[in-house]
Amino acid sequence: MPVPDVSVVVIVYNDADRLPTAIQSVLDQTLRDVEVVIVDDCSTDGSFEVAQRFAAAHPGRVRAFQTPENSGAVGEPRNVGIEHTQGRYVMFLDSDDVLELNACRNMLEAAEKTGSDIVSGLCVRLHKDTRNQKRDEWYAWLYSTTRTVESVEEFPDLFVWDTLSTNKCYRREFLIENNLRFPKGIFYEDLIFIAGAYLSARRITLIPNQVYFWHVYQRAAVKSVSNRRHEMTNYTHRLEIHRRIDALLAERGLDDMKLAKDVKFLKHDLVLYLRDLPFRDDAYRQEFAELSREYLASIAPEAYERVQPIQAICAYLLQQGDWDNLIPAVDTLINRAKVSSPLTERDGRIYWCDGHFDDAFGREVLDVTDVGYHEKPVNQLFLRNQLTRFRSSGRSVALTGRITNPLGVIPPDATLKGRLEFSARRRSLQSFHFPVRVLRHDGDTVHWEAAADLTAKLRPLGIVDTIWDVRLRLDVDGVPTTTRLTVADTELSGGLPVRPRLTRMVADHVEPHVSAKGHLAFRLVSEGRNAERVQELITRGVQGKPGTLAKTGFRKAKALRQKVVSGDNKLRAYHEVFSRLPVKKRTVVFESHLGKQYSDSPRALYEEMRRQGLDFEAIWSYAGSPEGFPKDATLVKRWSLPYLKALAQAEFWVDNQSYPLKLTKRPETTYLQTWHGSALKNMGFDMPSLKAQTREQQAEQQRSLDRFDRFLIRSEHDVHTLAKAFRLKEKTLLRVGYPRNDALVRARQRETELGRRERGPLAAELGIPEDRTVLLYAPTFRKAGGRHGRFELPFDVERFAEQFGDRYVLLVRSHYLNHVVLPPTVAGRVIDVSARHDVTPLLELADGLITDYSSVMFDYALLDRPLVFFTYDYDEYVHEGRGTYFDLLEHAPGPVVRTEDDFHKAIKSFESQAQDYAKSRQEFIAKFGEYDRGDAAKSIVDQFFAQWSR
Amino acid sequence: MTKSNAAEPRDIFFVSNSVNEMGGVTSWSHQMARLFSERGHRVHIVGVVPPPEGRVHELAPDVPFKTTTLYTEHPPSVRPVRSLKDKLNLVEQRRRAAREAGMQEQAAKMSALFRAAKPGGVVIVTQVWAMEWVALADTAGLTVIGMSHESFDTCRKSSRFARVKRFYEDVDRMLTLTREDADRWIRQRMDNVGFMPNPLPFFPEVPSDRSHKCVVSIGRLHEEKGVDLLLEAWARVAPQHPDWTLRIYGSGEEEEALRKQAAELGIADTVDWMGRTGDVPGALRESAVFALSSRGEGFPLAPMEAMATAVPCVAFDVAPGVHEIISDGVDGLLAPPGNITEFARHLDTLMSDKDLRDTMGETARTNIQRFSTEEIVPRWESLFALLER
Repeated sequence: MPVPDVSVVVIVYNDADRLPTAIQSVLDQTLRDVEVVIVDDCSTDGSFEVAQRFAAAHPGRVRAFQTPENSGAVGEPRNVGIEHTQGRYVMFLDSDDVLELNACRNMLEAAEKTGSDIVSGLCVRLHKDTRNQKRDEWYAWLYSTTRTVESVEEFPDLFVWDTLSTNKCYRREFLIENNLRFPKGIFYEDLIFIAGAYLSARRITLIPNQVYFWHVYQRAAVKSVSNRRHEMTNYTHRLEIHRRIDALLAERGLDDMKLAKDVKFLKHDLVLYLRDLPFRDDAYRQEFAELSREYLASIAPEAYERVQPIQAICAYLLQQGDWDNLIPAVDTLINRAKVSSPLTERDGRIYWCDGHFDDAFGREVLDVTDVGYHEKPVNQLFLRNQLTRFRSSGRSVALTGRITNPLGVIPPDATLKGRLEFSARRRSLQSFHFPVRVLRHDGDTVHWEAAADLTAKLRPLGIVDTIWDVRLRLDVDGVPTTTRLTVADTELSGGLPVRPRLTRMVADHVEPHVSAKGHLAFRLVSEGRNAERVQELITRGVQGKPGTLAKTGFRKAKALRQKVVSGDNKLRAYHEVFSRLPVKKRTVVFESHLGKQYSDSPRALYEEMRRQGLDFEAIWSYAGSPEGFPKDATLVKRWSLPYLKALAQAEFWVDNQSYPLKLTKRPETTYLQTWHGSALKNMGFDMPSLKAQTREQQAEQQRSLDRFDRFLIRSEHDVHTLAKAFRLKEKTLLRVGYPRNDALVRARQRETELGRRERGPLAAELGIPEDRTVLLYAPTFRKAGGRHGRFELPFDVERFAEQFGDRYVLLVRSHYLNHVVLPPTVAGRVIDVSARHDVTPLLELADGLITDYSSVMFDYALLDRPLVFFTYDYDEYVHEGRGTYFDLLEHAPGPVVRTEDDFHKAIKSFESQAQDYAKSRQEFIAKFGEYDRGDAAKSIVDQFFAQWSR
Repeated sequence: MTKSNAAEPRDIFFVSNSVNEMGGVTSWSHQMARLFSERGHRVHIVGVVPPPEGRVHELAPDVPFKTTTLYTEHPPSVRPVRSLKDKLNLVEQRRRAAREAGMQEQAAKMSALFRAAKPGGVVIVTQVWAMEWVALADTAGLTVIGMSHESFDTCRKSSRFARVKRFYEDVDRMLTLTREDADRWIRQRMDNVGFMPNPLPFFPEVPSDRSHKCVVSIGRLHEEKGVDLLLEAWARVAPQHPDWTLRIYGSGEEEEALRKQAAELGIADTVDWMGRTGDVPGALRESAVFALSSRGEGFPLAPMEAMATAVPCVAFDVAPGVHEIISDGVDGLLAPPGNITEFARHLDTLMSDKDLRDTMGETARTNIQRFSTEEIVPRWESLFALLER
C-alpha cells in the first residue's frame, strides 16, 4: 500500500457542525497526497456519523475512528489517531479549526529539504465573532524567518513560548521511536507533549508561513479550559505540568532552558492568575498562595532579574505572603502605568514598599529606583485610588476612598480640590461631574468622600452609551491628576433609577460593576417589564438590517472625517488655500528642533529682535506642550492648520533643522536656516543612506533643501561639510557665526576682562554651592535602550558621585530624544538638566564639558574651558555608523577616554588640563568657529530686519 | 548527468513580456530553456509583445526551443480608473474595452498552446505583467509558477508590488530569488512562495590569475548601477595605487555625466572607458578585483561570473541576492549601501594584498559552484515533482 506524505489527525467531540469545514481544509490542500484520520471522542451529537460519511465519500483518503470511551480531553483522541496514521508525517487538527491550504506542502517541503523531525509554522488565532475576524499571530516573532536548529537548546524561546502541538508537522517514525504521546487525565496536555517532542528532536525547522487557523469564539457557551482560570484544579494542573517539564530538563541537565522557562512562568503563567486575584475571595487567595509558594521556591533567583520589575515584585510578595502589599501591586500589574504603592525611600534608593529590608534578595526585587517614579510630578503619575465604601440610597451613591500618595508627591499642605466625573466609555459623548466633599491627608494616603445624585443629574442618551466610567479628577495646588476608582473587596450594591434622554423605555437604571481592569463603572439596565421588551426590540434593530446600515453609515462618516483632517488634506489646504492668501509683511515664524524646544539660534535671534524693539509679528511653533515658549509671541502647534497658515503667509521662516519637507516655500518668503551645529558625522548627501537613494528620491530631498535662502556658517569647515553635503549655492551662505553662540563668546570676553568667572542666576536655581566645580555631561543621541528602553549612562553615576561629589557637581543633559533616570542617592551632586529648553546657559555655567560626538563640543570650545571626550563606543560609532568628516582622535582638544576608569582619571587631572590643552583648544576654535565673534544675531538683524525698527 | 537519468520529459512554457528583450530576464530564460531542452524537456518561450525598438536581443539561429509572440504590436496602454472623471472618460473607456477584448483573444491563443501539452506540463511566468494574460488563459492540468526576478525591496517600491500580490496569489508556486526574499513575501501573507536562485551563466576553464592591476566593473551606465558611487570610492583609493586602473565596461545614457564626474574628481587618467563588450569572460580574466556598485539588484549575474573566473568582488550589500552570492570576508567584501568610505576601504584592502586576492578569488571560484547548472536544474525538476504530489 502506498504511504501518504502526510496524515492529519482530526479530533472531534460534539462538534458535528464545524467538523466538515475542518476536514475539507485538509482535503483541499495543495499537497494532494494527504490522508485524514478522524478520531471521535464518543460524541453524542452525531459527529461520528459525519466523520463516517466523509470516510465513505473519500475511500482511501479519509478514515474515521472512535475512542473506546469518552476521555473528556484532547490528548487521548490524538493518541488514538497517532496509532492509525500511515503517512510519513503527522499533523494534528481540532474540529473547530482549519489548516492553511498550502500548509502540508510547505511543511513537507521544509521537512524533506532539512530532514527535520519537527517542522513548525505560524499559528493564527482568528476571532470568529468579531467584526473583521480580528487575527492575532501566535508568537509571530518566533516565525519571522525560516530557521533550522539542530536542537531546541539553540532556541530556548521556542521551547518556552510556542507550546502548541497543532501548528507542527512531525516525522511519524520520530513519534513512534520516542514514544511521544499525550498524557492522560490532566489539562494542558499540549505543554508536556511538545516539551518532550522538542527535547527529543534532532533537528527542528521553523517556517514563516501560516499553517494553522485557530478559531476563537469569545462568546462560546462552554468556555475552553484556558478561559476557566478561576478553577483551582486548573492551576494545580498547570503547576503539575511545569514540574514534569522541570524534571525533563533536570534529567538532561539543561539549566539555561530551565531559567528561560522560569522567566516565562513569572512573565506569563503566574500573571494569568495574579490578575484575577483581586476579584477572588480569601479562601481562594490562601489556596492559591499555598500552591504557588512551593513552586516559586524552585524558581531561579536570576529569573527575577529578567522580568519586568512589577512581575518580580508580585511573585516575591506572593511568596512572602505579604497580602497588604500584593493586592495593590497586582493593580499595577493590570494597569502598568499606575503607581499603586506608597513607595519608600531608604539610603537614596526607592523601594516598592516598606519591609523586607532584612532580605537582600527582597531588597533587590523591590528596588524600583530605575523606574524613575521619584522624578515624576503628580500630573504624570496615575495614582491608585481605592474605593473603600459604596453606599447606594435610592437616588444617589455615596462613595469613599483613599488615594495612594507615593513619596509624598501630594504635599501635606497642598490645596486639594476634586470632582467625580461620570463619562460614557464611548468617547466624545457626554460627561457629568459631582463635587468631592471631603479631601484630607490620612497617613500615606489621601482620604476622600463624595456623593452623586445620579437619578437627578446623570442623563444618558440610552442605547449608545450603556457603559459609564467613573474618574476622580484631583487638583493638587493647581496641578491636575486623574485617578480611577479601584474596587477591591468593596461590596457594590443596587441599581439607581435614571432617565435616559431616549425615554425610560430603553433603560431605567444604572447598575455598578467592576471593569476588566478592576475599576468602578456603571451599566445602563432595564428593570421594568416594558423596558425589557423595548430592549429586545432595540437589540434586534441594532443587529438587524437598519442597525447595520446605520452603523456602517456612522463608520463611513467617521472615516471621512479622518480623511478630511489627514496629512494629505492639510498639505492640500496649505498649497491650494493658504498659499494663495497674501503674504503678511513683518511676520516671522520661528521653530527650533522640530518645535520641541524654545532654544538655539532661532531663540537668540528672536531675543535680539525683541531687544532692539523691532516692530514685527513673531510666531513660534511648538510640538507637544506650549510650556516654556515666549508669552509675547503667537504660539502655533506644529502641523496644525494655524501653523500651516502662518507658514504660508510669513515673510520669514527661521528654523534650525527643517520645516516639514513637503511644504513648498513661496518665493516671497525668505527662509533663514540657522542650522544646529557643525558636523563631525557625515551629513546630507554625504550620508550613505542618501547616496544609496535613486536620483528621483535624491531630487525630492534636494527640493526641500533648496528652500533655504540663507544658511548660517561658523567656519570654512561648515562650507566643506554641511554646505557641500546639502549642495547649497555659494550665495546662500552667510558667514556670520551662530546667534546662539554670541552669549558664549561674550562670556569668555567678560571672563578675560574681569580675570575671573562669574556665575549667573542659573547656579542658584539649580542649587549648586559656590565652592563646587560644575561639569556638564552632554552625550549625543543613541538608539539603544537599556532594561527599560531608555538611555543608560556609560558609567556608574553613584560611584561618580561618591568619588567626586565633594568637589564637583555633574549636570547631565541627555539628547532631547533620549531620557535618563538618576537615583536620589546622587541628589545635589548629579543633576538632570535634560528638560531645559536651551543648552547655552548650561554651557556658560559649566566649568568643563564631557561629551562624545555631540556638536556641542564645537560651541563649548568657544569658552576656552576644558573638554573630556568619553567615546566608549568609538569604533562602532565611526565604522558601523555613517562615518565622520575628520578623525576626532586627531583633533580633539582634550583627553579622549574609552573606559570608566580612564574617565575617572581624566576627571582627577581635570585642573591641569586647562593648561595642557590650551594650544589645541585655540586650534580647534580657529578651525571650527572662526566666524563666531559674538555679534551673529546683531549682524543678521542689521542685514534683514533693520528696516522694521519703530 | 546523462539524458537517461533525467526526470520524465515535460512540456515547459516560459511566458515573458517579450521573447527577446535585451536584459537579465531574457538571458536567464534562454539559458534555462536551453538547459531544460538538453534534459529532454519540450520548451516553448511565449512573449506577450515584441521587444521595444532598440532593445532587441538577437536570437541565436539554432535555439533548441520554440518561440511565440502573441501581439504583433504593443496593445493600447490604459491608466487605472481612480475617480469619477476617469469613469466618464469615453475615449479612455473605448481604449480599455479594446484592450480587454484583445487580451481575451491573445489569451485564447495561449490556451491553445497549453491544451496541446501533455499531463505534467509546467508554465513558468517570468514577469508579473505577463501573468495578466496567463490568468485569462486556460491552464487546467498544468502547474503554474510565477516569478519575481528582483529583490523584495525593489518590488515593494514599484507598482509591481500590488500586482504580484494580486496575480500570483493563486499560482501553484511563486518563486523569488533568495530565501530571505521569500520569507518577506510570506510575511505579506503569500503562503505559496518559495525561492530559486539563478544558475551560473558560465564557468571558464581558465580563471584570472589576478596579476593585472585592474579593477573591473561591467554593466549598463545607468544610475541604478551606481557607477557614480564607484568613481567617488575610486577617487579615495586611486592616489595610493598609481599603478592600478579602473576599467568600466558598458555604455548608456550616463556616460557623459560620468566622464565629467571622473574629470572633476581628478581620476580621468586612471579610469578606462571600455564601452560595451561581447567578451565578458575575457574582460574578467584580465582583472584582479570586481566592483559591483549598484543601488539595487536582484540576483546579479556579473559578480557570479567574476567569482567563477576567480576574481574577488567588492559590492554594496543592497539586496539579499548580493549576500547570498558573496560571503563577506570569505570570498569577497561587502559595504553597507551607499557607504563609499567602506567601499573604498575594501577596494584598498584587496588592491594592497595579492595573497588575500588569491585566497578570496580561489574560494570564490569554489563557492560559486553551488549555483552551477548541475545544481540548479535538478532543483527545478524536484520542484516540478513536489508541485505534482
